[in-house]
Amino acid sequence: MNRPRLITTLIVLVIAAFVLSLLIGPARIGPVASIEALIAGGNEAAMIIMREIRLPRALLAVLIGFSLGVAGAALQGLLRNPLAEPGIIGISASASLGAVLLFYTGLAGVSLLALPAGALTGAALCVLVLLVISAAQASTITLILAGVALASLAGALTSLVLNLSPNPYASYEIIFWLLGSLKDRTMDHVWLVIPLMVLGWAALWASSRTLDALSLGEEGASGLGANIPRARVLIVCGVALCVGAATAVSGAIGFIGLIVPHLVRPLTNRLPSQLLLPAGLGGAALLTIADIVARTIIPERELNVGVVTALIGAPFFLWLVIRSRRELF
Amino acid sequence: MQLSARNVSVSLSGRQVLNGVDLDLEPGEVTGLLGPNGAGKSTLMRALAGQLTHQGHVEIDGQAIAGMSEVERARITAWLPQQRVLSWPISVQAVVELGRLPWHGWRRVMSQADREKCAAAMELLDVTGLAGRPATELSGGEQARVLMARAVAQDTPVLVADEPASGLDPAHQISMMAALRQLAGQGRTVFVSLHDLSLAARWCDRLVLMKDGAIAADGAPDEVMTDTTLRDVYGISARIGRDECGLWLAPLGLTEGGMGNG
Amino acid sequence: MEQFGKRIWTGVLAAAGLLVSTGSVLSGPSVASLNVCTDQLAMLLAEPGQLKSVSNLARDPTLSSLHEKARQYPLNKGLAEEVLVVKPDLVVTGTFSLHNTTGLLSRLGFAVEEFAYSQSVETIATDIRRMGRLLEQSARAGAMASKFEHDLAELAPLACSRKPVALFYGARGVALGKGTLAHSAMQAAGFINMAAERGYEGVAAFPLELLVQDPPDLIILPRPTPGAPALADEILSHPVLKSLKTTVTGSFSRPASLNCGGPFTMQAIHELRAYAPSLLPCRKEGGS
Repeated sequence: MNRPRLITTLIVLVIAAFVLSLLIGPARIGPVASIEALIAGGNEAAMIIMREIRLPRALLAVLIGFSLGVAGAALQGLLRNPLAEPGIIGISASASLGAVLLFYTGLAGVSLLALPAGALTGAALCVLVLLVISAAQASTITLILAGVALASLAGALTSLVLNLSPNPYASYEIIFWLLGSLKDRTMDHVWLVIPLMVLGWAALWASSRTLDALSLGEEGASGLGANIPRARVLIVCGVALCVGAATAVSGAIGFIGLIVPHLVRPLTNRLPSQLLLPAGLGGAALLTIADIVARTIIPERELNVGVVTALIGAPFFLWLVIRSRRELF
Repeated sequence: MQLSARNVSVSLSGRQVLNGVDLDLEPGEVTGLLGPNGAGKSTLMRALAGQLTHQGHVEIDGQAIAGMSEVERARITAWLPQQRVLSWPISVQAVVELGRLPWHGWRRVMSQADREKCAAAMELLDVTGLAGRPATELSGGEQARVLMARAVAQDTPVLVADEPASGLDPAHQISMMAALRQLAGQGRTVFVSLHDLSLAARWCDRLVLMKDGAIAADGAPDEVMTDTTLRDVYGISARIGRDECGLWLAPLGLTEGGMGNG
Repeated sequence: MEQFGKRIWTGVLAAAGLLVSTGSVLSGPSVASLNVCTDQLAMLLAEPGQLKSVSNLARDPTLSSLHEKARQYPLNKGLAEEVLVVKPDLVVTGTFSLHNTTGLLSRLGFAVEEFAYSQSVETIATDIRRMGRLLEQSARAGAMASKFEHDLAELAPLACSRKPVALFYGARGVALGKGTLAHSAMQAAGFINMAAERGYEGVAAFPLELLVQDPPDLIILPRPTPGAPALADEILSHPVLKSLKTTVTGSFSRPASLNCGGPFTMQAIHELRAYAPSLLPCRKEGGS
């Protein structure tokens, strides 16, 4: 599929999912009335529901899905490993741990900024550890195992911190941090993540040509004039910003960065730089749809959106691992 | 452009791999680098291509490469490493186009001139017919040609290639060397390392023989390929002859003095 | 009951023996409580020295209305070993316990009395009287229970144009519906429970959108725990809640008042009714 057509199709898909997300909710407002309330006002209750409840939720699904998709594609390009994904290799869980450490212990005075600051730090530290491991010419298996170990450790420590909190609600909030949720998010959350994510996208985009050069290996890339240490820094920062901002607001949502690049890669020319935008758009669409499923699949109840992405992603991951005994991509 | 090494020394993991090497590579000729395993050939090549920190100077037409940015260096020297790595099943066309990266970095759009250079490189290495195929699905020989085409598409005055012909069948080895001679004929400085003594003797204008991190012999193939040097450097005996096309060489066996330590 | 009676006399004789050395007089059996609800009833009715141990949850302000009173009692974690150490004449606990302690204690020969969680204000007086009987403090218990019943009967309908609608809203959007003590208390206080009206039972997730679409007159929110942040507190500052113009938001002075049934439940009911004059259907023109 040629690139303009791919991008256009994906954009249409994102918009369709976004609109559908706006129209679905427990308060049955008709489609026309919904859009009217969103844009023009009118019925006050409908306007509040649309603008303060549904709009932030749909926007966050698109923004977070995009960021996770792009971060996944960039990580795969840098680590030259199609199984690299922020959730599987522990970056989301580390971001959760960072956020939890800073917020629940009351270390940060201003609670609104504590969460993203902690999440960014947690994510960055995890990526650095993984870079060190992968630099030692480690195999795919080693990298994935290290990531899984980091994810387990981060999850256990998160649970520990929450259980030690004097606030009785804290230990129940583990579900949010490990499985993610977009429920009852506000426009404040949207404004909080936008600058962080835009910076992250910019950092990843800036390193994209180096990712292409890395297709020829580190020596080959270096011979083409690529500054590999600089690209590493850019990608660490970009992934930390994208995944950190997302996790701070929605908890750890996994598998988006794994599924989407795999689905989209065969439709591109497979150069890593060409994969970034389609992976982002695909991630936005996938997360929005997953969030709709999480809200509607069981009547009167809401699932954590990370449960839905894991139900799709984990079997997909297993299938990839089994298939990798031949050629992986 | 003249590529020179001035008193280049490299130590890796505490071991002295290169010891004060001096070398001048001239444009318009194919210079072959030979030597037993562990002589330091790859290290010397990496140092000359600016890929390795070293003591001493590496200069292009008298200007030290240490002061150049990575992109400037990549526009002067094309480096083809020994290890053939292709991480993603991108098409042959895309692989060759990667060679143009140092020239248009941020700009992602290829100009007509870029496209022409890629086409010429693919033509030279006879991979035009493979343009749409995923590079990872090719045979070893085809991949080697594709990667060389990438280096050629980089369109640099200097080409440094580490064992570009290894693992190729005889026909492909010969066509690779013929392509290198054509590039040298265009005025480029071509420096390749080879394991095949016969190939080197026949196709190179000049040979540099290394042993134990230093240059043991340097000159025309006639001068370098002698029984003495073959015995001292490789520890082998060979039959050497000449015909109308050039030198030929057939290794026969080990010499009694044993191999030099390598 | 025979066994129980024998134990009482053994206990009394033993206490008489202790009397010589300690000088304290106990008229009832010594008791250990393993459940936060029985803790509170026991604390209210026991005489000094009678209640030997309460559960560690009794000191938790979010679960126990008498968390300060609980400081004077030794704590237990509800384990059989701890009961063995204390050796009470009677063990009181809830019907749902975390451990298989109840069965084990019975097998070991302890007298165990189980109280079901009261989900209704109607059963509170009965529970008080039962606890009084077990602790042999029937007089005190009778007075407490009678007062509760009296106060309950005295609750007049609220002076409002219609019954006000209230909702208990908690962490991450959870509401208390039909079948909870909170629901029963709301009804006794003269309110309609919005969650029960919509068919929600027990502790259930209640969508924020429904709050906006049909705002209740009163929302009771949790109070943030000072010095211990949690995401649960985020709901308190959700812009949607601020936008509900016709709704009064309030909270209980004791967050645990509707966690267990007891005389303190009446206080919660009174606090609810205290909000009434400020609610939309109850506002009078020109003062009072």
